[in-house]
Amino acid sequence: MEIKKTALAGTLESSDVQVMISPNESGLTIDLVSDVKKQFGKAIVARVKQVLSAYDITDATVKIVDKGALDSVIKARMIAAVQRALDIVEEPKWEVL
Amino acid sequence: MTQLVDIFLTVTTSRRIWQRFLTAAGMHDFSESELSVIDETIAIFDDKQNMLATGSLAGNVMKYIATNQTDAAYFNQLISEMENRLSQRGISPYFVFTKPEYAKKFKYIGFKPLSQTDDGVLLEKGYPTISQFLEQCPKGDPAKRNGAIVMNANPFTLGHQYLVEKAASDNDHVYLFVVSEDCSLFSNVERFTLVRQGIAHLPNVTVLPTAAYMVSYTTFPAYFLHGDVDVVSYQAQLDARVFKNWFVPYFAISSRYVGEEPLSLVTNRYNQLLVEELQPEVAVKVIPRHKNKNKVISATRVRQYLSDNRLKELRQLVPETTYAYIITNKLTIKNRMKDKKWK
Repeated sequence: MEIKKTALAGTLESSDVQVMISPNESGLTIDLVSDVKKQFGKAIVARVKQVLSAYDITDATVKIVDKGALDSVIKARMIAAVQRALDIVEEPKWEVL
Repeated sequence: MTQLVDIFLTVTTSRRIWQRFLTAAGMHDFSESELSVIDETIAIFDDKQNMLATGSLAGNVMKYIATNQTDAAYFNQLISEMENRLSQRGISPYFVFTKPEYAKKFKYIGFKPLSQTDDGVLLEKGYPTISQFLEQCPKGDPAKRNGAIVMNANPFTLGHQYLVEKAASDNDHVYLFVVSEDCSLFSNVERFTLVRQGIAHLPNVTVLPTAAYMVSYTTFPAYFLHGDVDVVSYQAQLDARVFKNWFVPYFAISSRYVGEEPLSLVTNRYNQLLVEELQPEVAVKVIPRHKNKNKVISATRVRQYLSDNRLKELRQLVPETTYAYIITNKLTIKNRMKDKKWK
């Protein structure tokens, strides 16, 4: 699916993550800011990619500012941001959830 | 427990608490021109009603951000809320001006610096970023001589045309940036159209938007608000460095052309600062004003003639294309003049 607009989900508070998804002409650009990038950077990016592929998104710019969020929080924030970016907040894709 | 609330600056008591808090944090400019552009203000209070942090939004700019807590949690909570509000309104990218010592806090939550001086830093976050904006423009060829001009063209006059023609004859290619901000008498679209029509005879000129990056409300509010000379210098310096850091390398610009400015103090100071900031890497060519019967041609004078209905004199200052547009749309434009918002 194609990203139509820039969307934001999450906050910058401790144990949360802020996700910003915007359109991209081709491919995925993932920009991660995190204190624990060294330890969990790969796991975070993997989770981001997993949610994107669940929505069939191949082209997107994703900016993540992580403040030590757990995996489930990252997933939830990603889903919220994707639904907003795709303008499908009213009709969520249940099979992804 | 802390509480995040909206503050209404029109309420005198709230405004007093807010202003006292910011003064304690070292901010002193509460001039009407700065405050009038604020859309909303939020603050975090503790349960004893003490303010812990505050921030305001003005269009795509975050302003008056301060906290008296060392714990970054309050700062992050504040910025999150401001970003969410901007995002709900569909505003992106957004910007923040801050002192160099606070820049790190913003970098930490994903802001990227665009330019820095001893007094201030301009940072950006959101989409498209400045690099993504530039990628949509044609890249300059470093093997060629490339000139650049930035103009508001409110509206496009024979003076502007003369400046572009001069640059086009000196260079292989000219990048002509037209200010995108929509707060001038002639709208963004009108100014672009009149510039395009007025330079149609010059094949080596590319017309591009400045977006928020040059002479905009974001980088250079004093240009539009006619602030005092100190503020102008500070903002002009940041503006010049955005141009130098990002536009010069991308378009391989070797010289920038500006019109000599005898009439406007702000533009005059801006030109001076461009010379100081850009040389020697980029040559700044100050071109003497084109004169018509010994009268300096300026867009200000064109707008004056239009408001005085002196169309015959107006016609001598603008290209035929601009004149034709003004005549066809005279009523619409004159109606706009009644509203003080457009200058």
